[in-house]
Amino acid sequence: MFRVDRRFLTSFDWGLLLLLLLVSGMALFNLYSASYPPKPWGMPPYVRQAYFFLGGGLGILCLISFDYKELHSWNYPIFVLMALSLVAVLFFGDSAGGSQRWINLGFFRLQPSEPAKLVLVVALASYYGRKEAPDGYTLQELLPPVGLTLVPCALIMLQPDLGTALMFVIIFVSMTVFARPRIFTYLTLGAMGSGAGVLAWFFLLKDYQKRRIETLLNPGHDPNGAGYQIEQSKIAIGSGGKLGKGYLEGTQGHLHFLPERHTDFAFAVWAEEWGFFGTVFFIGVYFLMLFWGLHVAMTARDRFGVFLAFGVVMLIFWQAVINLLMILGLLPVVGIPLPLVSYGGSSLLTTLLALGILMNVRMRRFQGERTLD
Amino acid sequence: MDEWKHLEELEEVNEYDDEALDSQKKRLLLVSGILFCFVALILFRFWSLQIHKGAEYSKRADTNRVRVREVVAPRGNILDRKGRELVTNRPSFNVVLVREDSNDIDELLRKLSRIVDEDISVFWKRIREAEKRPRHIPVRLKEDVDWKTLAYLENHNQELPGIRIEVLPARVYHFGDMASHTIGYLGEISRRELEKQDTSVYRGGDLVGKMGLESLREADLRGEKGLSFSEVNARGFEQQLLKSIEPLPGNEIHLTIDSDLQRVAEEVMMSADKSGAVVAMEVKTGRLLALVSTPPLHLEDFVGGISHAKWQDLLDNPRHPFVHKAVQGSYPPASTYKLITALAGLAKGVIDENTVIYCPGYYVFGNRRYRCWKHSGHGAVSLQRALSESCDVYFYQVGQRVGVDTLADYARKFGLGEPTGVELEHEKSGLVPTKKWKKERDGVRWQDGETLSVAIGQSYNQTTPLQICQLTAMLANGGKRYLPQLIEQVVNPDGEVIGQFKPVLVDELNEDPRYLQLIRQGMVEVIQGKQGTGRIVRIEGLTMGGKTGTAQVVRVAQYKDMKEEDIPYQFRDHAWFTAYAPAEDPEIAVTVLVEHGLHGSSGAGPVAKAVMQQYFGERLPPIIPVAERKK
Repeated sequence: MFRVDRRFLTSFDWGLLLLLLLVSGMALFNLYSASYPPKPWGMPPYVRQAYFFLGGGLGILCLISFDYKELHSWNYPIFVLMALSLVAVLFFGDSAGGSQRWINLGFFRLQPSEPAKLVLVVALASYYGRKEAPDGYTLQELLPPVGLTLVPCALIMLQPDLGTALMFVIIFVSMTVFARPRIFTYLTLGAMGSGAGVLAWFFLLKDYQKRRIETLLNPGHDPNGAGYQIEQSKIAIGSGGKLGKGYLEGTQGHLHFLPERHTDFAFAVWAEEWGFFGTVFFIGVYFLMLFWGLHVAMTARDRFGVFLAFGVVMLIFWQAVINLLMILGLLPVVGIPLPLVSYGGSSLLTTLLALGILMNVRMRRFQGERTLD
Repeated sequence: MDEWKHLEELEEVNEYDDEALDSQKKRLLLVSGILFCFVALILFRFWSLQIHKGAEYSKRADTNRVRVREVVAPRGNILDRKGRELVTNRPSFNVVLVREDSNDIDELLRKLSRIVDEDISVFWKRIREAEKRPRHIPVRLKEDVDWKTLAYLENHNQELPGIRIEVLPARVYHFGDMASHTIGYLGEISRRELEKQDTSVYRGGDLVGKMGLESLREADLRGEKGLSFSEVNARGFEQQLLKSIEPLPGNEIHLTIDSDLQRVAEEVMMSADKSGAVVAMEVKTGRLLALVSTPPLHLEDFVGGISHAKWQDLLDNPRHPFVHKAVQGSYPPASTYKLITALAGLAKGVIDENTVIYCPGYYVFGNRRYRCWKHSGHGAVSLQRALSESCDVYFYQVGQRVGVDTLADYARKFGLGEPTGVELEHEKSGLVPTKKWKKERDGVRWQDGETLSVAIGQSYNQTTPLQICQLTAMLANGGKRYLPQLIEQVVNPDGEVIGQFKPVLVDELNEDPRYLQLIRQGMVEVIQGKQGTGRIVRIEGLTMGGKTGTAQVVRVAQYKDMKEEDIPYQFRDHAWFTAYAPAEDPEIAVTVLVEHGLHGSSGAGPVAKAVMQQYFGERLPPIIPVAERKK
């Protein structure tokens, strides 16, 4: 380990770190406003979130200290641990809003479905990284990844948390498409997927979930009911205008018109207070970081690294896109956070660890397989 | 160094030599393009919301957070002609419910019902009426609670979430019920009125004038509402006051009414329990100095809404307290009409000052005997005596000679048969019968005998007390018909006079002044003459002219020979008295009508006398007690 000490500094991805620090700084700054005025009791969310940033930073340091190749061997034990925690949450978890999602660890409530996303990314990357298929994957070859996806997906559906469960499908689809299955496999999986979707609509979706989707199609219809959140979010964003209302001056957020303003709708607070220019800046930096991640995938040392980096980027990218489209009123309210920006320890730690893996892949792009043996 | 070289080789192997990785790199570029499309879509949507529709959403954000509330303007005061305040405002405390602040309205109303002693169904009715209004708008549950209830509510507000106290200006009547019909009262705006009115001015729950000048001068009195803009959060709690526009108080209205005169007139009427009307008017301007209708309305009862029971009592009261009898009551003018008959006779030349008619106590016309009120007869009467002693036979003959249509012409010249135009609602026009009128109404030809009755003011004739007062004033001022007016001036909150009294000449009699002079002489004789029917009104040191009248209510044989006191109230005759003074240079005309007051002289005369005494007050010689006079 100390052998590569010098290169540790030269090959470290300072650019990615800079972008991450920039996004994190803006996110914390925004969280202060999104939870303003502070409640008289308890730790303010931005302070808690700052601690999670520090914790996540330490996690990143741990993650980059060893070659990501090691993840191959840890992959399955971690996956089993993840599955067990998802089972445990069904029995011992804390519930809120009719769904049982959290394991109380005393100092913080872990939401196992968040790290589970990253575990799936690693598991799929590990599988595709090892199993090459020059002519495309057959249906049979795709059975293990499908299984790896369905286990957490089904367990999370039982909580129930449809939005998060959907994320696992999206991660699976992104990575599998990138891994390139055969045309026939595409068709079969596509048919099965849409069949499952239709069945889900009739048998799995709860009424409130259907209503959310329906109000999205007709949002002005019922401004105080189910479409209220979307309308208020659009008003918050739209009223920000060109330059915004100014920091801590957002009325939609501070007067509580905006729902979930420090979690799912945190970015609406930013958009309201900083306007279109501030939004373009934030989005610019945020997605620059993700495209940087794609570049990491491009320059990765091996197939595992490529899939790892690609999966991590997909994990963050799709959550961000879904969250933003949601606050913009283009998707139903599904409870997907904006990684790094929305308040929530589990999501933040997971995202930071994911970025840690990205840095790890980047750092070791020059290292031959033999060098570390 | 070797190591570095080795690494560079490795890099080449990793990045360029592996075909699979190379193709994946191409795929990654493609993926980047796809992902970029999503980012572009998101940025476009932000542009669309923030730039394209930014102004619209800004407005919606403001609608969200800014609550506009109306602040009721203090209503304009009403003063008398000498600047004494008749009606002003005081704060009144209403109990209101803010529905969104209460989670158990039913329980809350039950508590409140005990505290303010009101039936819970009344509350529910009001809440239902306000159902369509936003839940943060208070619903008024109980008006004008007393200090004790207020203190209790303030002390227990923790237990009554959603119950608040609203402070609104309410009317104070400094002179009690004085001029109640003329001033009028306020009430909550009705749904129908709300639909008729400009919606920017009124809201449900506003108080508006319902009667009298409060209603007719609503536009002057109401002022302009103020607005307060406050910031509220999503739960409807007010965070801070953003801006407020002070309400503009209503204009002050100074009446022509002299509260001294009005009070005296009302007291005299009420002390003898007389229902009827008193009108006092300046003869040379048309200013109404007193306009009384008794029994009065109890205005305080209307503050904060009158109870149903009290309302029903008013409607059922046989003395009709709701009717402004000076303008809405119409009565046969009786002998006051003889003034018109006299002028018609003089002008048509059928009589002159020397004409003498013999009164044996009756007049035979056709096959009927028309009686004079003095059954023993007046003997030979001239115009002077005919007026002062109110001889019916004399006027039967004058009437018969000129005919009913000529009588009607002269009645109309005095403004009878049409509203005077005074600024009060539902003024009656009275009735001036003609041959044509009867033909049209009944399809029957006019009977000449009916002319005789018309000539002495009975039969179909109907007049209001105000009309008779105007007639008196016209005779007194030489024939000028002035519009009776109630408003001396209107003053805006800055103290500027925006409306000032000006006499309005409606019409003029073009008759020989000598005729009017003759009639006035007769009227002076009524009061000053030894046999004058109105001598009871005589005031030492003041020469007056006047006329009495006794209007038959029914002609029922069974009461004819009864003692007056024994006749049931509703069948007793109405009493008229109309007078002007001073006779030398008339200033004021006073007309009194007492419903079922029996005789003009005894029933109505004393009231007119009291008003005259009050008006001339200091100008009259000091009253020397009888004991001193003997010395």
